[in-house]
Amino acid sequence: MSDQSNQDPHWKEDFPVERTEATKVSRRDFARFLCLVSGGLAVGSGYVAVKANFFPPEKVQGEHFICKADSVPTGGTRSFVLAGSDIPYILVKLETGHWRAYEQKCTHLSCAVYYKPGSSQIVCPCHEGFFDAMTGEVIAGPPPRPLPALEVVVKGEDIYVRAGGTELAKK
Amino acid sequence: MSNFKDAQNKAHPNKSNTLMSALIVILILNVGIQIWLLYTGLNNALEDNKDIALPAFIASAVLFLISFCWLYFLPMGYKKTGKK
Repeated sequence: MSDQSNQDPHWKEDFPVERTEATKVSRRDFARFLCLVSGGLAVGSGYVAVKANFFPPEKVQGEHFICKADSVPTGGTRSFVLAGSDIPYILVKLETGHWRAYEQKCTHLSCAVYYKPGSSQIVCPCHEGFFDAMTGEVIAGPPPRPLPALEVVVKGEDIYVRAGGTELAKK
Repeated sequence: MSNFKDAQNKAHPNKSNTLMSALIVILILNVGIQIWLLYTGLNNALEDNKDIALPAFIASAVLFLISFCWLYFLPMGYKKTGKK
């Protein structure tokens, strides 16, 4: 019994780390982890740079027929998807008589947006994001960018869309 | 022969504690700037402003290199000397 009291307990042999040293080790590891995070963020920025410069997103080619003009009431909307793409779009006939077409994905977290009739606003219900239905610009809420737009072309009674609506909507 | 690390390891724990805290604060600051750079580069790239992405990446890589070299200055902590 006296032998045991003079010796260190067995667990100290399994964990031969002193308390002061253990404290420092954890902070060193934290600093190393921060460096790892820093490397990850640098790699992420590199991925964004490569993707933006060498693999840009495909633009809509040509004109696409959507619907007849009289099938959408004033202040009404119509959802559509272009052939060969899975991006949902929304066609809006504003109360002013203008036609607009936007991606239906909110630029915040890709929730589906909808047009609020009479308000000239496109609303994202997830986090209360509001877009100007005339230009696609953000009015309020967390979305960081305007809604990507398509140009709407009215040919008689037919409604077509084509790429390049973003610049047009800003005018 | 004594070098920087030996001197640092013999320093009073108060000193090495302060140094460690300062290093961690600067590392957190670097990571904060890198998060901002990534956010800005991504948002601009999605908005068709590709010119932002490359400078943001270069700045982020430089900050990573700084963070990596920073680790050299981390105190080693107490080292058991050969006392018996």
